[in-house]
Amino acid sequence: MNTLETRTVNLTINGRAWSGDVPVEEVLLETIRNRLELTGTKRSCESEVCGACTVLVDGEPVSSCTYLTFEADGRQVTTVEGLAKGDQLDPLQEAFIRNVGAQCGYCTPGQLMAAKALLRRTPRPTYEDVATWMSGNICRCGAYVAIAQSILEASHTPS
Amino acid sequence: MLKPFRLLQPSSAVEASQELLRLGDQAKVYAGGVELLLLLRHGLTEAEYLVDVKRIPGMRDLGWNGQRLTIGACVTHRTLEDLEEVRTRAPLLAEAERHVGNIRVRTQGTIGGNLCFADPHADPGTALLVHEATVSVTGLNGEREMPLAEFFRGTYEVALEEGELLSAVHVPPLPAGWRSAFHRSERFYRPTLNVAAAVGGGDSQLGDVRLAVGCVGPRALRLEDLEQRLRGLPMADALRVVGESAAYLEDRLEPVGDLLGSAEYKIHITKVLIGRALKQAVGT
Repeated sequence: MNTLETRTVNLTINGRAWSGDVPVEEVLLETIRNRLELTGTKRSCESEVCGACTVLVDGEPVSSCTYLTFEADGRQVTTVEGLAKGDQLDPLQEAFIRNVGAQCGYCTPGQLMAAKALLRRTPRPTYEDVATWMSGNICRCGAYVAIAQSILEASHTPS
Repeated sequence: MLKPFRLLQPSSAVEASQELLRLGDQAKVYAGGVELLLLLRHGLTEAEYLVDVKRIPGMRDLGWNGQRLTIGACVTHRTLEDLEEVRTRAPLLAEAERHVGNIRVRTQGTIGGNLCFADPHADPGTALLVHEATVSVTGLNGEREMPLAEFFRGTYEVALEEGELLSAVHVPPLPAGWRSAFHRSERFYRPTLNVAAAVGGGDSQLGDVRLAVGCVGPRALRLEDLEQRLRGLPMADALRVVGESAAYLEDRLEPVGDLLGSAEYKIHITKVLIGRALKQAVGT
């Protein structure tokens, strides 16, 4: 199937400028994994249900599987690779490690990005805030309690 | 991977209408994309052109003119859930919006897309019916306004003519002193059914009542006859009337059994949730 139309997209990915011609039907998940070769963001349900492909666009969580890349023109995209500052992990990543907030780890990048968006907006969430916000991120291993604990713990860490 | 299409980004409603008329079935209106892109991906619909309506002036505006909130069709669910203006003027709508999909769907998805898609399993429409919301529809012949109750025609069916666009939703607040409640039964993200109720008048008995139910049949509906019978009743009597309303509800709602529950189950839960919503609204 040949592309019918492309758009030039200028975006910032994890703090770095990127520019490219992208088919209008291309979704951000494809751009991130195939063009930018950042494979932390996971492809899973492709139906906006599971949250494994969650990335931030201008700080807000989106399903990158169902977000057309041309919409990110002029915006800041953040993936799990953008959380750490050099060797210094984000407090959320540290807390997930301490609390074993993962089993197989496939959903973890999405969990981290959704949690990042929550803490950006609600720096000191209650357990209820965490449960409501994170209900759109599925962990089929069932690490939910440890994930929630990790987020609550990270929210008490000065970043 | 989505099948290739072309993208049109009209800068006015007239231009959008012209394109939609010219292209007919080859074109699909695109706003947040949370429903359209899924249908395209799964091959349930096809589009040679997406007509992105987000650049049309006013589509993302939200304002209060002293009498009603006017919400541009491309305002997102997150905005409606979060904005103080909506939470104070239309708390019932803000509450319904909180339940839509998940945080990502609410960030990307728009109120206009939700209403035009007319999935029977949706939340905002039910709350908007209790607000007696109207919608503005624009086409080449200008703009017309109609009650949301008439805009909803059936499952995935709305009263848009060819070349017409939903441009805004108008939401009058509930009358002063009224209280409201939104209740929902769900399996995962999708509502099995939802009930919106608003009540005016005292604590010991119901004053005026508005009720709407969604997801049970092909479209969300007001329950005018039941509202009429509940008016002025003490709560205990009202709950008894609701409990005995199965025949009316079946007739009015045309319940459809699906994976989320049988028709009989949905009618039963409708009665339960109406009771809870009334009790919550009057504060007992």
